[in-house]
Amino acid sequence: MTDARRARYVALFASEARSLLTGARRALGQWQDDPAEQGAAEEIFRALHTIKGMAASLEFAATADLVHATETTLGAVRRGDHAATAAWLGDFELALDSISIACEAAIVAAGGEGAAATPGTAWTGPRIVRVDLDRLDALLSDLGGLVMARQELERRAEADTFSPIARAALQMARRLDTLQARILDVRLAPLAEVFERIPPIVRDLARQLGRDVAIDINGDNLEVDRAILDQLADPLLHLLRNAVDHGIESPDARRAVGKRPTGRIGVTARADGDAVILEITDDGRGIDRDAIAARARAMGILEDRAALSDDGLLAVLERPGFSTVEQVTTVSGRGVGLDVVVARMREVGASLSLTTVLGRGTVFKIRLPTRLGIVRALVTGIGEERYVMPLTHVIELVACEPELVGQRDGRSVLFVRGEALPIVDLRRLLLYRGDDLPSRRPAVVFEANGQRVALLTDAVLGQVDAVVQPIDRPAGMARWLTGATVLDDGRPALLMDLASVV
Amino acid sequence: MAHRILICDDAIFMRTMIADILVSAGYEIAGEAESGLQAVERYKTLKPDLVTMDIVMPDMGGIDAVKAIVAIDANAKILMCSAMGQQSLVVEAIQAGAKDFVVKPFQPARVLEAVQRVLGG
Repeated sequence: MTDARRARYVALFASEARSLLTGARRALGQWQDDPAEQGAAEEIFRALHTIKGMAASLEFAATADLVHATETTLGAVRRGDHAATAAWLGDFELALDSISIACEAAIVAAGGEGAAATPGTAWTGPRIVRVDLDRLDALLSDLGGLVMARQELERRAEADTFSPIARAALQMARRLDTLQARILDVRLAPLAEVFERIPPIVRDLARQLGRDVAIDINGDNLEVDRAILDQLADPLLHLLRNAVDHGIESPDARRAVGKRPTGRIGVTARADGDAVILEITDDGRGIDRDAIAARARAMGILEDRAALSDDGLLAVLERPGFSTVEQVTTVSGRGVGLDVVVARMREVGASLSLTTVLGRGTVFKIRLPTRLGIVRALVTGIGEERYVMPLTHVIELVACEPELVGQRDGRSVLFVRGEALPIVDLRRLLLYRGDDLPSRRPAVVFEANGQRVALLTDAVLGQVDAVVQPIDRPAGMARWLTGATVLDDGRPALLMDLASVV
Repeated sequence: MAHRILICDDAIFMRTMIADILVSAGYEIAGEAESGLQAVERYKTLKPDLVTMDIVMPDMGGIDAVKAIVAIDANAKILMCSAMGQQSLVVEAIQAGAKDFVVKPFQPARVLEAVQRVLGG
């Protein structure tokens, strides 16, 4: 067992043993109040049993023996060989105390976090609390409510910016910003949790496929939100599988083209402002863009005769169901395709790009947000439904007057100061069937992927700071709907990823 | 394709330790469960190639979970993880349909041996 790994186990032991002992004491209290209470004995038994197993695994022999002896005593009572008299329960309480002391001593001896739980003792090292992610999610959604209340207060304070209310609103806004940053910080977890699983998996794959691969990992100390990290593992492993299976050539094939027989796969993370950039690199054969283009044309999904750019290549590869694998291998033939990788990444607000050179290798670059964001967004409505879109992409709002609408290359366009912008109707995107079409409709002009588009909607209802939560998407839901939020009036709204609409 | 394994244990500590042992040998962790009930639910949705099952867990113990899983899938491959002194429970688990067992504290080599045995048989 490596030192780092052992330290992690000791930390887990510390937090689990403590919370189990706290639970056992609480159960013992109930048992003392009501000696006929059977559930308490069960709960204490499970706690002791778990602690014993953990202690034995860490070779805390004295602690394990002590817990085992206590468990045996408890076993006699559970079997009915012995009554749980008040005196016995009192002794048992002392036994639990001894176990606490033995655990703390073992943790300290193992170089774990500082001695704990004795009032008045100074803590050393970081103090750690385990928190259910659901609780942090609840905290985040409470924060969302508070952010809305702040917006309401700010709207009212605007009437007189020198009033005491306006000053109080400003102070509250500052504190709220700090609070928000702190809550989002609490949710951070190191990339190492996902990265440390990579090398053994890649090595095993390489063995199965007869490849010789060296893997290099950097930047695993960077942190991202737990919810984002949880979504990262599968897509990342998929990209790595592809790299080993389709990227890296066999040692002989590599020698034949003058490469070193050992292929290199790199996973590098670096901070970039509020985001983390992940690069998954391989020095394999690269992606054959002409072959992909030919196949895409044969399937009728690509009309253009021009060579595919890297972006164009990714756009083809990420189409649901598109696959270049002629014969299904045991490795990449199963599992999710690149379409699923891209969809999963978009759900957490990440974007993916690709660079590939035939014969030289491929780099997938993932720009990953580190925090679940609070997004400044525009609220629009279609019928009674509400959709929000991040303001980062929005350029302006224009009224879609009939005389501004025209045709160009067979597409409806909106003329805005002489520029013809393709029109996308949100009603049509959503397959909305309501007949409550307003006579005049606004268009949201936005820019994404280097293209300007006019998005027709029914109404523009204002701006919000939306606390965006990832959604569990039902099958068939449009992939450009990437999150959900709750508006001031308590209504739910879906977040649109404008970049995927284009 | 690596075999996918579902780890059932009420202690994060144990789940982490088993996961480390399995992952370092190239297995894929399909998911984790912290109670017998959850184990049964996860088995249905994840359809893992193998399950490691602790015996003592809250909300349905490991033995009842084995019975429930075998009722769903007679070919389920379940490996019991027991502490010292639970021989009688291990026998009960095997009768209920578990294929093999390992004893805590885990020796990586023993765990992997048992996993291979169960997957192979």
